[in-house]
Amino acid sequence: MTQTSVKPKPLTITISKQAAEHVEEFARQAGKPEGYLRVGVKGGGCSGLTYVLDLVDQFKEDDKVIEEHGLKLGVDRKSYVFLAGTILEFSGGLNGKGFVFNNPNAKTTCGCGTSFGV
Amino acid sequence: MCATLSKTQGISTPAGQTSFEQEYQALAGGAALADRSRMGRLRLTGDEALDLLNRLSTNELMDLVAGQGAVTILTSNKGRIVDLLFVLREQDSLLVLTGPGNGKKVADWIDFYTIIEDVVVEDLAEKTTMLSLAGPAAAGLLGKVAGAGPASVETWESAPATIGGVDATVIRNDFDGLDGFDLLAPAPDRQRLWETLIESGATAVGADALEVVRVERGMPASGRELDEAYNPLEAGLKGIISFTKGCYIGQEVVARLDAYKKVSKHLSGLKWDSNTLPPENARLMLGGAQVGVVITAVRSPLMNRGIGLGYVKKVSAVPGTSLILELDDGQAEAEVVDLPFVPSPETES
Repeated sequence: MTQTSVKPKPLTITISKQAAEHVEEFARQAGKPEGYLRVGVKGGGCSGLTYVLDLVDQFKEDDKVIEEHGLKLGVDRKSYVFLAGTILEFSGGLNGKGFVFNNPNAKTTCGCGTSFGV
Repeated sequence: MCATLSKTQGISTPAGQTSFEQEYQALAGGAALADRSRMGRLRLTGDEALDLLNRLSTNELMDLVAGQGAVTILTSNKGRIVDLLFVLREQDSLLVLTGPGNGKKVADWIDFYTIIEDVVVEDLAEKTTMLSLAGPAAAGLLGKVAGAGPASVETWESAPATIGGVDATVIRNDFDGLDGFDLLAPAPDRQRLWETLIESGATAVGADALEVVRVERGMPASGRELDEAYNPLEAGLKGIISFTKGCYIGQEVVARLDAYKKVSKHLSGLKWDSNTLPPENARLMLGGAQVGVVITAVRSPLMNRGIGLGYVKKVSAVPGTSLILELDDGQAEAEVVDLPFVPSPETES
């Protein structure tokens, strides 16, 4: 897990200001300036579970919606138990990893960092 | 020895229908019929079902078209074997065949990893029956009762068939190293399907004969040589692992073991100069230290001796190596041999 300066909130998902800015930038580039960011977890990946990040036109009815730094984040309801307490950050630069999930529920993480086990 | 109920291979043919010798001959040279309804049967529906299974198991499944299937391995995040599956792509769903008695375990495994996806798992065990025809004359017999179409599908492909008035799904498989067909039909039609095939010349076989044939052909089985104590590379299943498709659960461990040649033991054939069978999980020793274990041991009529499948440490898993096999009463000299012990017979044309 990478070091973070953002204080986690155990029962929600926290987005860093930098991550929110990059989401807005990606949304503009994708021609979806009003787009919403939806996050979830799917089965698979080396460690069992993989993060999913999508720009969508609208959230699903039972998504949990979080708003921070002007960004609306929808969390898949069934994925929430695996993500509660997570801080979504952005690691930039030439060696950066892009969006990074600092997830306190992850007991194991694979080499590439996109898959985790609980 | 006669046909008996077995816990190991999903065979529930009652004892005493035919002699062991008749059953063994049917498998080696005829058309054998077994009830394999203990194998789990699941149907997965939902747009992401194929993608999900592709992410949970070792083989490449995304290329499958309707009517085509593949064998794949569910692995844990430590790269250990959860179960060996056959996945058939149907028009709007997937049919998954599991190891004997593993239907619920596999359904639960898939269900645990179904989070954001729209995938529904249905257990078909109660609704369906599964009979299997195997042996060099199986295709000929199936052709007689179901027509040339179902009998001529390629291995791991399926076709619908009507057999004695029973609608069935026919899947051609590599039945423990023999040409064979799985026949799935509604559970109430089980007896009619069975009788049609027996009346057409199939020989009912039970677990003992099937187990001997399986070991002779060096095929590891779910619940025997294949479980969470071992990984697919140790079990000799590299051929059903895709090293290019990307991540699946356990992929990092499996890829590392392969790349750095860190596989520490291998599925091996063992033979010894007597018909005495060792106890379950008998130890294989070399120089006073354990170097392996025999998982399944049988008496081979063809080789007229005891043979077995087991795991042997890499350094000793070399054909010709002589090991000490611990028996209940004493010990025997066992030799490591190449698998299979005997080649599969040619299918009759």
